[in-house]
Amino acid sequence: MRHYIKVEMLRMLRNKRYIIFVVAFPVGFYLLYSNLWGAESDQATGLRGSVLLMVSMAAYGALAAAMMSTAVPWSQERHSGWLRQLQITPLPGRAIILTKLASSMLLVLPSLLLVGLAAVLTQHVSLPPLQWVELILAMWAGTIPFAALGLAIGSLLPPDTAQPVAMIGMFGLALLGGLWFPESMMPAAMKSIAHVTPSYDYARVGWQIAAGEAPHAADAAGILAWGVALVALALVAYRRATVRA
Amino acid sequence: MNAIAFTDVTKRYGDVLAVDGLDLEIPAGATVALLGPNGAGKSTSLNMLLGLLRPSSGEIRVFGEAPETAVANGEIGAMLQEGALIPELTVAETVDFVRRLYPRPLPLEEILRLADLTELARRRADRLSGGQTQRVRFALAVAGGPRLLLLDEPTAAMDVESRRTFWDNMRAYAAGGRTILFATHYLEEADENADRVVVIARGRVVADGSAAEIKAGVAGQAVSFLLGDQPVAGLDALPGTTGVELQGGRVTLRTTDLDATVAALYRKTTLDIRDLQVHGADLEDAFLALTKEA
Repeated sequence: MRHYIKVEMLRMLRNKRYIIFVVAFPVGFYLLYSNLWGAESDQATGLRGSVLLMVSMAAYGALAAAMMSTAVPWSQERHSGWLRQLQITPLPGRAIILTKLASSMLLVLPSLLLVGLAAVLTQHVSLPPLQWVELILAMWAGTIPFAALGLAIGSLLPPDTAQPVAMIGMFGLALLGGLWFPESMMPAAMKSIAHVTPSYDYARVGWQIAAGEAPHAADAAGILAWGVALVALALVAYRRATVRA
Repeated sequence: MNAIAFTDVTKRYGDVLAVDGLDLEIPAGATVALLGPNGAGKSTSLNMLLGLLRPSSGEIRVFGEAPETAVANGEIGAMLQEGALIPELTVAETVDFVRRLYPRPLPLEEILRLADLTELARRRADRLSGGQTQRVRFALAVAGGPRLLLLDEPTAAMDVESRRTFWDNMRAYAAGGRTILFATHYLEEADENADRVVVIARGRVVADGSAAEIKAGVAGQAVSFLLGDQPVAGLDALPGTTGVELQGGRVTLRTTDLDATVAALYRKTTLDIRDLQVHGADLEDAFLALTKEA
């Protein structure tokens, strides 16, 4: 299974779409936005722009990585016959979905770390070491619901539908989570939708840690609940997709 | 010991009976062709052997075990009809990944050599031709050094040259005492590459034996001539005749006793017989006769 994870990583790192959306986009936008607004301070969180944007862009990159590395590749593997190829080897069925989840979690790390690095190098962002660790761990673990959502999409939909659904889901969640512009600027209806999305809770937990606060119970509970629900959905969808007639 | 045993296996999809009471035993070490027209139940049978499908009734054993157990133990390798590769991985990476999933894999170099892939080892899967992809899929089937190799119409996308190389490679693999079962609807492939041919039609075994036995077992020979407008009635009563077919103005009599049939044609009928031809049965005739009757 270790070798399987390695192979999964290798193929995604060679995938141009992954590199562009997941590594180049968040880092590029961070550099752009932080030059424009890095010095301003945000009223809602009290964070300096450079720190707020670091969390937003890292969150966007992580969310994108979690969904991009799962939904479409997995759907394609099911339809192209690669899944069958694996099913007739001694590899146990559960190892496939666990590997997908584990690889996706590892593929989230480049965007998290690179955006952080860009923030440190270009905007001289500095946080106490423990806070860095907490922030990265929280933002890392917080991608589980998104990876699970991607896997569920990949199990339920054929590749040509999984592609747009995953894209819309990814950008929709990033937008509603307030990763691209603050939630305070949203119209009331959009705001109420935003508040129930996992990306909104995810980003807020990140900002709270970056501001030196403990994550608010409501936000942490929100992302945890989404995590449980989406992992359960991913498992059910996986069973359905791999059932033997 | 039997590598494969089907005991009264049935597979039903809704109202359609894809496999209908299949009984088949294949001893370890044999190379067997599963020959039949499209829709005969070949792929369904192979998929059941791999545990990808479950029989509606009956029992399947692979080396005495349930198919799922045999797969989990790495006893079976297979080349199914469809199967894309991961586009971003090279040939060597793909083969090495799959071989590591098995408990007793062949060495990577040996697999690449067996499938003629040594020169393509570093090429990415999305840059392979159709025939090259088929070779990689063969490599994946043998990667684990399985005792039983299943091939479902393996040469479907290959040209003549690739086909010949493919069968040479298959024989090289079989030479180690391994069991091979391949499905095909090419008669020559079955004739040239298998010790035993199992003909199935409509989900049942209709003939089972060496290619020569199957030819001999069916209708023997045939005689045909131009009948024109003359009546066909009564020809089926001639000695030895087992079947009469009329096509255009030409009638074909299948017979188990060629001499008696021809003698009777001239002595006992008043027909004007022109352009008489005698046909020896080939496997194609045998196959058509068998799958039609079933």
